[in-house]
Amino acid sequence: MTPTRSRAACAAAAVLSAGLLAAACASSPQPSAGGPPATNVSIEISDAGCGPNPATVPTGPVNFAVTNPASDKVTEAEVLGGGKILGEKENITPGLDGAFSLRLDPGTYSVYCPGAAKDTWAFTVQGNGSAAADTSLTAATQAYHDYVVTEVGQLQTAAKTFTDAVRAGDISAAEQAYAPARVHYESIEPVAESFGDLDPAIDARIDDVTDPTQWTGFHRIEKALWADHSLAGMAPVADKLDADIATLKAKVATNTYQPAELANGASDLLTEVSTSKVTGEEDRYSHTDLWDFAANIDGARKAFELLQPALAATDPDLAQQLEARFTDVVNGLAKYRSGNGYEDYGAVTDTDRRSLADSVNALAEPLSQVAGKVV
Amino acid sequence: MELSRRRLLQGIAGAGAAGAGLALAGCAPSAAAAPTDVVDFHGPHQAGIATAVQDRLAFMTFDVTSTSRADVVELLKSWTTAAEAMTRGAAVPGAPPDDQVPPADTGEAAGLPAARLTVTVGFGPSLFTGPDGSDRFGLAARRPAAFVPLPALPGELLDPARSGGDIAVQACSDDPQVAFHAVRNLARIGRGTVVARWAELGFGKTSSTQGSADGDPGGTPRNLMGFKDGTRNIVGTDDAALDQHVWVADADGQGWLGGGSYLVARRIRMFVEPWDRDRLGDQEAVFGRFKDSGAPLTGKAEFDAPDYAATGADGPVIPANAHIRLASPENNGGLRILRRGYSYTDGIDATTGTLDAGLFFLAYMRDPNQFVTLQRKLGTSDALNEYIRHVGSGLFAVPPGTSGPDDWWGRALFS
Repeated sequence: MTPTRSRAACAAAAVLSAGLLAAACASSPQPSAGGPPATNVSIEISDAGCGPNPATVPTGPVNFAVTNPASDKVTEAEVLGGGKILGEKENITPGLDGAFSLRLDPGTYSVYCPGAAKDTWAFTVQGNGSAAADTSLTAATQAYHDYVVTEVGQLQTAAKTFTDAVRAGDISAAEQAYAPARVHYESIEPVAESFGDLDPAIDARIDDVTDPTQWTGFHRIEKALWADHSLAGMAPVADKLDADIATLKAKVATNTYQPAELANGASDLLTEVSTSKVTGEEDRYSHTDLWDFAANIDGARKAFELLQPALAATDPDLAQQLEARFTDVVNGLAKYRSGNGYEDYGAVTDTDRRSLADSVNALAEPLSQVAGKVV
Repeated sequence: MELSRRRLLQGIAGAGAAGAGLALAGCAPSAAAAPTDVVDFHGPHQAGIATAVQDRLAFMTFDVTSTSRADVVELLKSWTTAAEAMTRGAAVPGAPPDDQVPPADTGEAAGLPAARLTVTVGFGPSLFTGPDGSDRFGLAARRPAAFVPLPALPGELLDPARSGGDIAVQACSDDPQVAFHAVRNLARIGRGTVVARWAELGFGKTSSTQGSADGDPGGTPRNLMGFKDGTRNIVGTDDAALDQHVWVADADGQGWLGGGSYLVARRIRMFVEPWDRDRLGDQEAVFGRFKDSGAPLTGKAEFDAPDYAATGADGPVIPANAHIRLASPENNGGLRILRRGYSYTDGIDATTGTLDAGLFFLAYMRDPNQFVTLQRKLGTSDALNEYIRHVGSGLFAVPPGTSGPDDWWGRALFS
């Protein structure tokens, strides 16, 4: 796991100075590649107010540019609709500027700047129909939802095989079932991390926990199997793992995603690979790290493939480069395939680990640019 | 006889090594060491704690190989004398240059200014009680109750080869070679009594102890993540805060440590490459500060007080797991420590091909439990944990300062 990182993506994004990210958490669909052209609206904030220019725009994507020439009193602007903040830019002190984008349906909105003499200004979107986002991105986020649901369904089944063996005290069967169950978690781990304590409960390593007696999840049982060679006392841990996975399944059934979350999740998966899989820390007792490694890459690749059509429209070179680098990593991993899984990571030499790491780092760098292209 | 670094050069030249001496002199800075370059060695507290943080660090820990208490006492006396001289910009004291013997000072700081050198010494728990529970030097009864090895803490994966030690030496200076010279010469003096256990060089300070009032000439320094570090650190001139949080009081337990402190050293590896790929907004959410200005996410300027109660549309403006929130005195019952860390790099990680770099965290406190409490919380919940790991650790009891030429480090402990 990533050490106890609860992503709380929207809560975090709300405070970001980057309005684009704040907007990514708004409920309205997001502007994206393709579709109708964007309209530019400037908002100059002053002690007097924050009138938008123009104050009326056609349906579709709107890029708001916020500037503050001189006001110490008024330092933020928000676009409100239906009683909610749809997009905002905070901490615009004198001399600073900022931007955010929204895709707005026809209707009446307001621009709000707390502290100004007149703090609420009308903003109107005219036209017919809906400003629905680019179909390829809408389809991508829906398909990613379906992918996560499928993976967690398979996780539940595969984990049950594992936990049944643990409860039966069958060390050999449990060892066989360990890695095949984990892959369905590793492929969607950033999603699990967004649910607070679930990821630590399912996937904490011993160095992630304050009190080793409260340690639960896959790695607790991994230690029992490969280090302690005893499943004594593990039945309750197996039960809790099943229960935590059931909770995860219920949460992902209703979870929705923004395009940027797909891209950032893919980046997070590569961070997982380079900080804990390459080093052999993740599965330090079983040495099944390459299974997790491959699952992280699979999950990242899935997210990328879904974003690929939209990305190809805005930045074909980046899309092509990522395609090639994913192929390099997958080919590099293929050398270590064994049966239906992967070789013991302990048998992979330092030189070969380095070569895998280099290919992951070469992929991760351009992948980190994708989120900025698909919001 | 004692030689100034400049006279040492002349001595070498006079002894016949004229060519080498001239060449060295030609490279030396022309300005003589200004008085402001010298930090007072003697005082109620050791220098190098409340002292305004210098630019560079050389840190080394040692294991005592001798079984003789007298050897340890002799070592500490010799070290005190040498460190006091080096702090003034003088050479390690010894016999006059003689062609037939190696010089008392290793020489690489000759011609360099004092450069605000401080040398600070601390004793590890293992000096008091051996791994087998033995009372190695008759000190076990003098070990303060609070002074036990740090417990296992979340977020760490410690390398024993970069942890622990019977004695630690922290040398800080504005000149890297002056700092290195100090630990190198103490290691040399100690041979036969101690062996070096591990060492770390810090190439850039990451903390300021000068605060907003006095200000750090270069502004609050930044760590390798690109964020200002130590904005709310204890200020080295704030005696009330130092007495409350940093200096051990006579009444705290063992009297020999009164006026001293505890040093926690942690080698904190940063996953630099993944961090560099994290979007700016997330980096700022992780710390709870703006990267450029250093202002809290609820403020405009660096020294604005963070408002942990402020909420935005989707929750707290400074996220619940932001580093500054979890580490703040406001959320830890007023707990504070004095940070004095440095950026380090030890080249490239051979396995991953990534930079082996991070923060060499040094913090001084009145009770080691101050760090334990903070790290239990940070190691469990800090958003930063995704990008860091504690890989080395040491805890040391730092005796008080020396009163004058006849005093030596640890005299009260060994008397």
